[in-house]
Amino acid sequence: MDHNQGRRGHFHRGRRGPDRRGPDRRQGPPPEQANRVERVERVDVEQIMREIRSRIAQRSGVDLSNQQIHELAARRLEAILDPRGLKPELLEQLRRSAGERTVAVDAAPPSGAESYPFDEATLYDSPNGFLRFLRKLFNPILRMLFNPTPIAAALAKQSRLNGELLSREAERDRRQAEWNALHYEVLQRLALEVSRASLESQSLSLRVESLAAKVDFNERRVRTMEGTQVQARPQRLQESGPSAAVAAPTPSTDGAPQAQPEGQSEAPRRRRRRRRGRRGPGMGVPATTGIADATSAPASDAAVEVEEGDNDTDEGFEEEVSADRVEHHEDVIASSPSPASETAPEPLHTDEPGPPREE
Amino acid sequence: MKLAIVVQRYGADINGGAELHARYIAEHLARHAEVRVLTTCARDYVTWRNDYPPGIDSVNGVAVERFPVDHERDAAEFGLRSDHVFFRRHSLNEELEWLDSEGPASSALIARVRRNVSEFDYTLLFCARYYHAYHAARTVPGRAVLVPTMERDPALGLSMFGAIFRGVRAIMYNSHEEQALIHAASSNAHVPGVVVGIGSEIPPSVDPARAKSKFGLRSPYVVYVGRIDANKGCAELFDFFIRYGAERPDAPTLVLIGNAVLDIPSHPRIQHLGFVDDQDKFDVVAGAAALLMPSYYESLSMVALEAWALGTPVIANARCDVLLGQCLRSNAGLYYANASEFAAVLDQVLDDRAMADQLGRNGRRFYEENYSWSIVEQKYLDMFSLLSSNRPSHRMEKLPGWLARRQRSLRPAAQVLDELPSGPIGAVA
Repeated sequence: MDHNQGRRGHFHRGRRGPDRRGPDRRQGPPPEQANRVERVERVDVEQIMREIRSRIAQRSGVDLSNQQIHELAARRLEAILDPRGLKPELLEQLRRSAGERTVAVDAAPPSGAESYPFDEATLYDSPNGFLRFLRKLFNPILRMLFNPTPIAAALAKQSRLNGELLSREAERDRRQAEWNALHYEVLQRLALEVSRASLESQSLSLRVESLAAKVDFNERRVRTMEGTQVQARPQRLQESGPSAAVAAPTPSTDGAPQAQPEGQSEAPRRRRRRRRGRRGPGMGVPATTGIADATSAPASDAAVEVEEGDNDTDEGFEEEVSADRVEHHEDVIASSPSPASETAPEPLHTDEPGPPREE
Repeated sequence: MKLAIVVQRYGADINGGAELHARYIAEHLARHAEVRVLTTCARDYVTWRNDYPPGIDSVNGVAVERFPVDHERDAAEFGLRSDHVFFRRHSLNEELEWLDSEGPASSALIARVRRNVSEFDYTLLFCARYYHAYHAARTVPGRAVLVPTMERDPALGLSMFGAIFRGVRAIMYNSHEEQALIHAASSNAHVPGVVVGIGSEIPPSVDPARAKSKFGLRSPYVVYVGRIDANKGCAELFDFFIRYGAERPDAPTLVLIGNAVLDIPSHPRIQHLGFVDDQDKFDVVAGAAALLMPSYYESLSMVALEAWALGTPVIANARCDVLLGQCLRSNAGLYYANASEFAAVLDQVLDDRAMADQLGRNGRRFYEENYSWSIVEQKYLDMFSLLSSNRPSHRMEKLPGWLARRQRSLRPAAQVLDELPSGPIGAVA
């Protein structure tokens, strides 16, 4: 047997090793172990690490595919971008920016603002040849009146600056588009991680709830079994001779002693009826029971409390315990002093004879 | 053949990685050549205080000449200069000032190297990042064989070292990752170089039972050997191990060997043995389920090689390219990048003993094929032979002029380092 087959929890490491049997009991390796031995002989560190990492991934995460996580993340992005905390239009802006990224990146400077060479000759340029000739002819006179060179230089410089500003603006737009896309990506990933974490948290809380329910059930089950064992002894004593409960008569609430045989047989019957009465709607308690209880109202309340507690514990237990045993258990409870009788000043069962109470 | 070995510290009681490396190489090459060690009087690598007397000495049969250090290291000044050249634009002159503040600045040692240039056929310079290696390489570039022992350190991004890597006669690398890193940083593929590494003095027999009895070790245990320092990844190791132990009542013991600079957490499963002798160290390592190597930066882990030589698998920090590359090439070690991987890898080694034994056998084979002394010595001798038969094809670049050295035109070293490629080198043909 291959003890290392599959992934064991660390708490099983006491059985570490492939085979801890003695050499006389050790047989040839089964086929899967032979394969493993062969694999070990050709140990590949990268393969081992891949296996380890896949085990970690399986153990730590909720079992969702990447596609599912992406879908969840995409859906939950709107939930994260709460309008109360962020601008409502942020999501649309981010989406638009991410969508327009290629447009913005490839955007060229506006055509109307394109730079062109500007020099002194441009001042006197004209499509009309005659006009060009006249300007050239009178150019010396013009130069005599003022110096057009600085004007041409300033305009040329302005043209160059315009070009630079446009390219800078385009670059800034491109970077802004990249930043927008990055922000969108970051938010997307954030949503992804939050989705993953919340799913994991949900899974863990469900697991905790399940474990807590199991623990609760087990505790109740243990209490019931302990109670059964403790209370069985007085019942045996009762069968062998006059019980302590019978020998020590208990007073009723109205102080009148009641007939012992009736009282002894009445209590279990009443309990059985009450249990049946809780099994479904329409199974009402018979009127006689109500009359019998009316004679001992405070004590029967206490009895009901105890019984309800027992019933609660038995809800899961009844499936495993036979009907005879349940009845026997109820008889034992009915004939034995309950824990409530030790603390309560009044006796639990009023249908047993006892000394009159002091008023 | 006459060889000089220039190293920052030297002594039988000095166990720093590069210094031990230099001593082993000196002692082994002394069987093939006349070897003389040129070093400083420093014993402490933090202050470079002059502890040894200057003059001629002999260590394990190898002649040693010691020269005084000009000034001790001022930690505050060194820190400020490091911050400047690593993270700000700076000048070459500021890099040289950083080197001087790092030390060990020994002008007498450099003068000795310069005095009789032709006295030695080759000068082996250990630890490229220190003052002595830089200036000695500039003094005798045609005979300088550099053993850089560089790791992924911002100093590698300093511009002044590029000229050294391109100008020395040959380079003996410690690992393929170191070679790739230096090639990328300095474009020195034309310089003859070989990946050598280092062997170790493995005793012929080890007795793990003796060590267990002596130190009261309980099996299974894992071991860390080296300086217990946050810079070596020990803080992270403690964190991961304590988290691992909290979930597993039957966790192994973490045995620590070495001097502690970092506070060791008080934990029932952590046992610190302090500094032990070599025999004890080898016995403990041989009996360990695995050797842990949490360091982020290594140019070569001698301890990992020793563990492999003893058949002990290694669990290394996956963020260290060199260790990761060695694990992959040797098929003899697993690695982790976070706490859950640390736990899973440790479980794997402890649970699957057959696999762990096979890792150990792979490690032993890897050591014998690459790092046994006969192979290491032969690689050095082959390199000397190659250099003797060929004329140098390159020259050391001259330092820029006075003004150019003072221009703050150099990028921050950390930025340069970030742009260098990273990752392990897989199987090497």
